[in-house]
Amino acid sequence: MKGQELVLALFLVCAVAISLISYMIYRSTKHAAEEGEGIKNPLQKRFYFLLLWGGVLIILMSVTIPKSPYFMYKDSNPEKVVKVEAMQYAFIMSDETDNASIEVPAGKMVEFRVTSMDVTHGFAIYNPKHELVTQTQAMPGYVNRLRWVFDEPGKYDILCTEFCGIGHATQTGSMRGEFIVK
Amino acid sequence: MFAQTQEYSLAEEDKLFTKVENVQILTTTGDNIKLSALYEREPVILALIFTRCTGVCSPLIRNLQDNLARLRPKEQFKILVVSFDSADKPTDMENYQKMLNVYADNKWIFGVTENILDLTGSVGFYPQWDSVSRQFEHDALLVGINGNGYIVKKLLGIRNDNSLNGLIKAISNEFVISYPLPRKNALFTCFTYDPITGERKLSLGLLILLIPAVGTIILLFLISRRKKGNTAL
Amino acid sequence: MNLSLKRITSTWIITILLLFFTAIILGITMRFNQGKVISIDDGRFYGIMTTHGLTMVAIWAVAGMVGVHYLLNRYLKIGAGLSVFAFVMTVIGVVMFYISTFLGNFHAGWTFLYPLPFLNSFAWASWATPLFFWSLAVLGVGWLVWSVGLLVAIFKEYSLSETFAWQHLSKKEPKVQTPPLVLISAISLVGVVLCLLTAVVILILSFAELYSDGKFVNDPLLMKNLIYFFGHTIANESLYLGLAIVYELLPEISGRPKYKTTWYVSLGWNFTLLFVLTAYFHHLYMDFVQPLGLQMFGQFASYFASIPSAVVTIISIIVLLYGHRIKWSITNLLFFIGITGWIIGGIGALIDSTISNNIFLHNTLWVPAHFHTYNALGNVLLILGFFTWAANEFSGSNTDPMRKLKLALIIIGGFGFVLMFYCGGAESIPRRYSVYPAEFTRGAMFAAAAAWFAIAYLLGMLLIFVDIFKKCTKVFSSSH
Repeated sequence: MKGQELVLALFLVCAVAISLISYMIYRSTKHAAEEGEGIKNPLQKRFYFLLLWGGVLIILMSVTIPKSPYFMYKDSNPEKVVKVEAMQYAFIMSDETDNASIEVPAGKMVEFRVTSMDVTHGFAIYNPKHELVTQTQAMPGYVNRLRWVFDEPGKYDILCTEFCGIGHATQTGSMRGEFIVK
Repeated sequence: MFAQTQEYSLAEEDKLFTKVENVQILTTTGDNIKLSALYEREPVILALIFTRCTGVCSPLIRNLQDNLARLRPKEQFKILVVSFDSADKPTDMENYQKMLNVYADNKWIFGVTENILDLTGSVGFYPQWDSVSRQFEHDALLVGINGNGYIVKKLLGIRNDNSLNGLIKAISNEFVISYPLPRKNALFTCFTYDPITGERKLSLGLLILLIPAVGTIILLFLISRRKKGNTAL
Repeated sequence: MNLSLKRITSTWIITILLLFFTAIILGITMRFNQGKVISIDDGRFYGIMTTHGLTMVAIWAVAGMVGVHYLLNRYLKIGAGLSVFAFVMTVIGVVMFYISTFLGNFHAGWTFLYPLPFLNSFAWASWATPLFFWSLAVLGVGWLVWSVGLLVAIFKEYSLSETFAWQHLSKKEPKVQTPPLVLISAISLVGVVLCLLTAVVILILSFAELYSDGKFVNDPLLMKNLIYFFGHTIANESLYLGLAIVYELLPEISGRPKYKTTWYVSLGWNFTLLFVLTAYFHHLYMDFVQPLGLQMFGQFASYFASIPSAVVTIISIIVLLYGHRIKWSITNLLFFIGITGWIIGGIGALIDSTISNNIFLHNTLWVPAHFHTYNALGNVLLILGFFTWAANEFSGSNTDPMRKLKLALIIIGGFGFVLMFYCGGAESIPRRYSVYPAEFTRGAMFAAAAAWFAIAYLLGMLLIFVDIFKKCTKVFSSSH
């Protein structure tokens, strides 16, 4: 299951559960006795909830932080480096070849060195199924290095994910780029 | 009335991840070797100077020497100082090395090459001869070459230890996820990045981020009153 | 409660709701454009987007201030003057802002991310940029004076340590009880002052660049940090002001004993101030140039900000309500649904504030999904609860017509509306697009459906407004 599907499923489960619990609380107020006691030992319950919720957060943090992009592939060398200069409203991409299109090898680590010539843009890479796989910001005056391994061959699209002006997305087209994974 | 965009230089991005030309180097110690013989053993920081230079060449080397002494990097690498002036001979380079007193740790190699244009072209360095001043007009440039002969980082101008650290990490294939580009005019930045003075100081930009917090704390103390009486907290 | 205060509060309520409806209509227009039901010019779309965003952020921030100003008069004296001043400045600021967007076509987004406002490329009138910044200055002055004035009034009655309820942290029974309203309002107002001082810094830097003719330029990373600190914090403090109102009103409306500040309420809210100020780093996760320590702290602060919210506030509300006979009216139902919406929005936020998720969620529709949940189904309902309560106070009437219909429209409309955003985010559809690229085959469908859900939500809101309007306007004809 890809990341997007997982988070949506997780969210929906939580949203439904929270709604149900809310409804249960509401119902309890309709059927309570006049001098209903409500929840006993609330302070103790707070403490247990603190332990539970704090524990969940700590586990989530320890599992997810190592997967942050800042640590990914930092100990290996890229097979290919592609330079990207974002501008209103195109991505100028170049590698060491003179080819008209950018090709990167499948299954090997590739690095994009991303900057901007004008405003901050977003550099978001979409796989052939139009799923967002990875991204970074293209900020003027800084070069961000995005490393990834593309397993699936095909045409990958780049879309701008940071609002950058009137050409960001229009009735007739949006700011985009592409490269081929072979 | 409107400010123009900042001018960021992309000159440091030119030639990145291309291979340096594998030229023959004649060193001051009499070795006649290919550049690859050096970088395959250890990564190389290439500095391009000429001995008649009355401009940035000596400051470049001196600054590099001072900053390395301060940084004391644990990574292994060599600094190769090559002249791009066909008039320079190994003896000129030896005298230059003596003049600057650069002998630390056997890290430094001084030399000349007959394939000047091949070398300078491959690193994107284009000095211009001025017949009036009888000097080359050129940038101060350090080129980081990794163990496979790839140009992994370039630094233009006289740089401070933050930037040199980045250069050393790059040639040692250590990953630095992001870095600033040289620019003009920005007074308040998060990172100190003054290529001219190479000064290292706490950036004003970081202090600016703290102004609202400091301002609020001061305001609270000005408008609140302390607890009166002797009731314990 | 003094008549002038009632009148200015009434005026605020009506004005805020009218601006709210304007902003909703702008939002519906955007979703219909994205849904390919209508087609508007791209520049106009982004101008509408900018207007919608800033209007919503502004009105719900001031709405919180209106509420706490009114209710704080139960514990201390604050006249109507500050509120009137802020109202005048807000109206002037909003008019200036609307001129810059509707007439000048300024459309850099409500976050006006540097350097976009300065690089208009002839897309909008050159006078629109300075007018936009001056409108922010006018709004900022009004609100800064107001929030500082409220803090001064609090400090007249409570010392610094009493305001922050530090005396409740000890085991002894404190001599001075700090009401939760005072504690939470003060903490929120400190956050508001911090935001507004940040806005002052942003404006000084922006004006310096505007008027220096290229001699002074700003650093994009510094400006992004400042702008997102301002934006994130003001949105969160608006919510906390709403919660302050809930702590004060929910018990009495429900027929339950008043909340008292305890050691964990004091501790939780003091920690909240720290977490809310450092969580903003989660907006810069994809700016790899940001120092790693700040990125890590951003995830930590974003996660742990949920602890005081859950362990203190949410459990306090559950304890207040569960198993007790409660008098339900539109006011406390709005509070209750708003708290539920806030929690659900919090789950969406927690997911996105995880860096390894942010890689594929950043700036997709997941982002507007969670903040619309926090607002449309969270804070807006909390404040609306206050508005309905105030309307009853001002009119002496507590009629509650069509309650089920109003709430059904809001719940179905609101949840349907945000669900379309979550689905869009899960399909990686990027945000702030006037139309979606063809490869996002369901983008237009989600957008059109969202617009219809939003219309249902708007209808529910309009029905509530009719009742509020009738009741609030009575205060202008009464003499007490």
